This record gives sequence, C-alpha cells and structure tokens, in this order.
Amino acid sequence: MSKGFASNYRIVLLAAGVLCLFGGVATRLVFLHVIDRDKLVRNVEQARRQVQIENARRGDIVDTRGHILATSRTMLELGVDPQALRKGDEAKWPVLARLIGISPAELTKIFNTKVRTVDALDPEAENQVIRWTRLREEITESLYAQIEALGIKGVYGNRAYRRTYPQNRLAAHVIGYLNKENVAATGVEAFCDMYLRGQNGWRESEKDGHQREMAQFRSREVPATDGFTVMLSIDSVVQSWVEEELDTIAQEFHPDKATIIVSEARTGFLLAMGNYPTFNLNEFNKAPMEAQKNYAVASQIDPGSTFKIVAASGAINEGLVTPATRFDCSQPVVEYKGKPRRLIEDDHLWDHPLSVAEIISRSSNRGAALLAMRMGDQRFYDYARAFGFGQFTGFPFGGEINGALNPPNKWSGSDITRIPAGYSVSATPLQIHYAMGVIASGGELLRPQIIRDIRYPSGETVFRFGTHSVRRVISPKTAQEMAFCLQGVATAEGTAGNAAIEGYQVAGKTGTAQKLIDGRYSEKDHVGSFTGFLPASAPRVVITVIVDNGKPANKQPAYGGKVAVPSFKRLAEKLIPYLDIKPAEFPAVPPLLALKGAQP
Amino acid sequence: MNKTGTHAFVNQLLVYTLVMICFSGSIGLGTVWMQQQIARTSNSIKQLETRAGELERRRGEITSEIASEESPTVLENKNQKLRLGLVQPKEHQIERIYEQPERRLAAKRNSELLTSGSPVSSRLRYVAGGAR
Repeated sequence: MSKGFASNYRIVLLAAGVLCLFGGVATRLVFLHVIDRDKLVRNVEQARRQVQIENARRGDIVDTRGHILATSRTMLELGVDPQALRKGDEAKWPVLARLIGISPAELTKIFNTKVRTVDALDPEAENQVIRWTRLREEITESLYAQIEALGIKGVYGNRAYRRTYPQNRLAAHVIGYLNKENVAATGVEAFCDMYLRGQNGWRESEKDGHQREMAQFRSREVPATDGFTVMLSIDSVVQSWVEEELDTIAQEFHPDKATIIVSEARTGFLLAMGNYPTFNLNEFNKAPMEAQKNYAVASQIDPGSTFKIVAASGAINEGLVTPATRFDCSQPVVEYKGKPRRLIEDDHLWDHPLSVAEIISRSSNRGAALLAMRMGDQRFYDYARAFGFGQFTGFPFGGEINGALNPPNKWSGSDITRIPAGYSVSATPLQIHYAMGVIASGGELLRPQIIRDIRYPSGETVFRFGTHSVRRVISPKTAQEMAFCLQGVATAEGTAGNAAIEGYQVAGKTGTAQKLIDGRYSEKDHVGSFTGFLPASAPRVVITVIVDNGKPANKQPAYGGKVAVPSFKRLAEKLIPYLDIKPAEFPAVPPLLALKGAQP
Repeated sequence: MNKTGTHAFVNQLLVYTLVMICFSGSIGLGTVWMQQQIARTSNSIKQLETRAGELERRRGEITSEIASEESPTVLENKNQKLRLGLVQPKEHQIERIYEQPERRLAAKRNSELLTSGSPVSSRLRYVAGGAR
C-alpha cells in the first residue's frame, strides 16, 4: 500500500494548522454570536433595519352619478440641496425656472445661496450650511417628470397626497375640506372621515449604506388599505344650477345671504344644497369664516308665511275644517279663551269669508291665526313640533341648530296670533324645506339624507343608506288636500302666480318675514322665501329658495314672490326634463296583450 | 501494517475533507448565487412596484383633471366659448311615450303570427332518448 505524500510529521503539522484555523474561526464566532451578540445586533438593527410607512389613499367623494367631487392626488414639494449642485447643470437652470414659473435670476439666487447666517449681529457665529430650500410647493406628477428628465443633481421633490376638489366651489358647504395638516375639518370630509381615510400600511426591511432599501431583506409587510368611496345624493348638475341661481340672486338683489335646497320628495335625499356667500374648496384658507358657514342648517330665520302650512294641515288633519271651510278674516280683533286678541293685518282687505284653500293661496295672516285658534294652543304646538320645528332635523354636519319654538306655557297673549303666521318662531332653511316635504311625501317627516352609499375603491357597495321616516305627521288624505290648497298659491289669484309652469301642477308657499333688528321688526329688511314641490299630484322634487335681506331694484320690498319665486320657477323648469318629471301621473300599465285585436 | 493503515486512513480523511470542502464550497457558492438571484428578483419586484406606484399616481392626476373638465361649470363655459349652442330641451320638444315597449313588441309579434296565411307550426322530430 502506498504511503502517500504525507509523512507523520507533516500530517500532524497540517492537522494542527487546520485545527488552529478552525479554532480561531470558532473563537471569533463565539465572540460574535454569544459574547458581543446583543451589542452587535443592536448596531446592525440601528444601521440596517428600517420600517417604511405606506400611506393609504384617502377615498373619493362622488355625486349620485359618480362624478368626482373630492379626490386625492399626489403632489410634490420641489426643493434643492444647493451643496449637491453641479457646475455642468447650470445650462439647464433657465429651463427649470421656466417649468416652475419663477425667473431665472431668482432661481440662480436660490441655487447660489449655500449658507444661512444664523445670527447677523454676532460675527463670531458660524453660518449654517443649507441642505434644502423649497422651490415650489405643489408640483404635479407630470411636471415633476419633466423636471426629473432635466437631470439636475440636487433638485428633488418630496411626495405627499393632497386633497383636491375638481369642481372647486361646487357644494362647498356640503363636501367640506381637509385643512393644511390633512385633518378633516368640515362637511362630509369630517363626518365620513372614518370611511374615507383608509389605513396606512408598513414594511419592515433593511437598508444599505446609501440608505436604499434592500428589498431581499423585507421581513414583514402590511399593505395599505385605501379609504372607501362615499357617494352622495347630491347631483352635481342640479347643484351647479342651484349655484347659478344663487349667483343670479346675488347679482339682482344683493342679499346678506341666500339658500337653495332641492330634495327628492318621496325619499328625502338631497339633490342640492347651496348657499350664498360660498367659497372655493381648493382655496379654503382664503375664504372668510362667514362664507364657510352652511346657512341652510346653521342659521335661523322667522319662517313667515311658509309656516302657515302647519295650522292648515293640523286643522284639516284633525277634522276641524275642510279646504272649503270659510273664515271671516276681515275682523282685526277676535276673542280667544275669553280675551280679545288683535290679529296681524293682512296685505289685502277681503270682500268675502276666505276658505281654508284661499287662506293658503292668498296667505292670510288672520286666517292662519283663526285656524290655530280652532286647534288650540297645545294641539297647534304639537303639530308644529311634529312638522320638525324646534327640533334638529338630523342633518349630520354643518353645525345644525334647532331653531326656536317655545311651548304654550311660555307664550305671550299674542303668540297664538303671531306664530301661525311664522313670527315669534325661528327655523333653519332646512327645517322649512322638510316641513314642506311632509306634504310632498304624503304626510311623513323625512330625515334629510345626503349620503347614498359607501363603496369599496373597486366600486362594490359596502353600505347603502335608505329613506328614513322620522314620523307620520298627517294622513295621506290630508297631504293630498294640502297639496291641492298649495296649488292655488301658484295661480293668478295666489301669491306666487309667477311660479306657475304650463302643463304642470306646482304647489308651494311664499313667505315674507320682517327681520327682527334691535328688538323691532324692520319695515325694510325682509326674508323672502318660497318652498314648493311638483307635480302636486305625484311630487318628485321639493325646492326651497330663501333670500335674506334682498334688495330689489327701485327699493321694492323683498317679498318671497319677488326675490325667491323666479329662481324656483327657473330651477323647476330645468329639473323637469333632467329628472324626467312628467306633467301628469303616469297611467297604470295594463298587462301584455297576447291576442291580435285585443284592447287594453 | 499498523503504520500503513494509519496513512491510508489519514489519506482518506484528507480526500474526504477536500471533498467536503468542495461540497461545502459548492453549497456556499450556490447559496450566494441564490441570494444574488433573490436580491435581483426582489429589486426587480421593487422596481415594478415603484413603476406601478408611478402609474397609479399618474392615473390619479389624470382622473382629477378629467373630473375638472367634466364639471358642469366648465362644460357650460365651453358650450358658450365654442358657440355650440347646446341647450336643454324645452317641454314642447319632448315626446313622452306612455306605452311599454314590451307591449308594443308583443303586439307586433302576435300580429305577424295571426295574420300569416297558414297556421303557425313547426315540424317535430322525435329522437329516441331525447334530442341531444
């Protein structure tokens, strides 16, 4: 057998050498993995481990037809590290200046300012090296791509999601906005923040010496969950018409404020809610707080004659009167509970006793008071409450107030004559709107609904909101009779003859309330309003127009018929073809015919 | 004999050690190669994610621009600026159909069947076990 190349001595030497090497490696490993382990692991973790937050995209707010009202898009804050600039890129500076819209001289000045004087008064103080100077605040992705293509070293952007409102001021008071800190401040943005904001994700991994992520060392990853989409019942087309009308009102009558509300008669879903003054959501920080207030829910006015529907509906519903029952409205003083009560004067002298239908159509203050007296204090008050006055409507945001409606034990002797005519009572425009909605819906007080459904970003519905009836106020028959009475308002004999639309049954009620200024009712400052619906026999939409302190030309009084009715009519005329509102009730459809010659 | 046996054993040990070293080295190199491939694939995935993110951001920007262009105010302004003369239809221009289209179609179909000269029939063919 061969002895091989190795002698005993060599083999022992080699084995000892190999053992020593292994021993050395083993010793080092013991130091690394046992003795110094904690310290080294800490160092490695500090140096290499990183947790990256993955921002969730905030959900969109869309209108009832899916048009985007609020969305999130990435914007970049563009800046420069003056220390990193290269001489060779100077030729590209003018191009960059043109792209970001500043003068080349200004850009050159920013680029050449490489240190900042910490204390100008102290010559000993060291200057601070500038590593970041902002060039422009909000750069779009496409513009940033052009800037990146220039390849100027040291110029880069920090990306962040920004909320944008593509339709600018449209439905500003409803949508609300996110403030500069990306905190939902008002409107649907704040109310639905839980649905909209989504959930940020995160990723644990390691980074290299250049602070770049080493993707192969990703250990744990939780993906971001984008926010839900919130679909509103607002229709942006109807909303834009409402805001056009508010512009027209502002131009013609220069009011202090104005509000228009449009809703579906049978469901209570709002199609539009607009206020004057308003503001641009993309420039909310420039808008005064007054313009940001949602007057439809956060301001109260004397409802004036629109309140007369309460006394009339209540008296008919209780079977105390019919639309044909007549009242002598010529007497200035009547006896009530054994005491004489002076009634508010009417604008006209009546040559005959007025029927209930005429009291409504001609807006008789005395007639309304007589109706309320027939009901009695408590019953009239109960109906006023049932119509929603003095209570929150349940509109979920905008700082809703509940108006003022005192109980009978706090009434003065004259309140039974004043409240039925809409004085000594305060209501928000939304309360007035939904009170009329009681008649349009067939007798039920509906809760104002603004959100149709909540959806996944992919479009599937998560939750759908439905019609919510607060209570039944009057019977369907009474509602029908009231609708008939209210049709008389939009006729030549009524107070809103100019609201009539050919071929359509328009029902509504004008309102003109003197404003209470310094404790006295003003003779020249009025709140003019009109609230109505159509078609009267099968209501589809309810429209309310309220103009606060309008100033018509030639110093005419700002009656509801003057300042509010024209807008109501123009809006209704636009809505008829848009919502396919038919002039008469759709005929019942007979079953399909199977035989030739058969007649329905 | 004993000496020879020791040498042979040591030689075998050396050979096995070398084989082991080669084997371990191969495994080591294989592991390094595999790590390299993992790193490359991870980076490639990361780049794709970055690209997808860019496209998503671009899509968001375009969606927002489209939404702006689709706003009723902008469309109205374009209608006026381009003098398109687009207006809402007036009531007299609208023809309302109060009839169900299904009923009209059914009547039409029945009419064709009943006015044809011969009674409507179709030839039937019976197949054992049913038609396939």
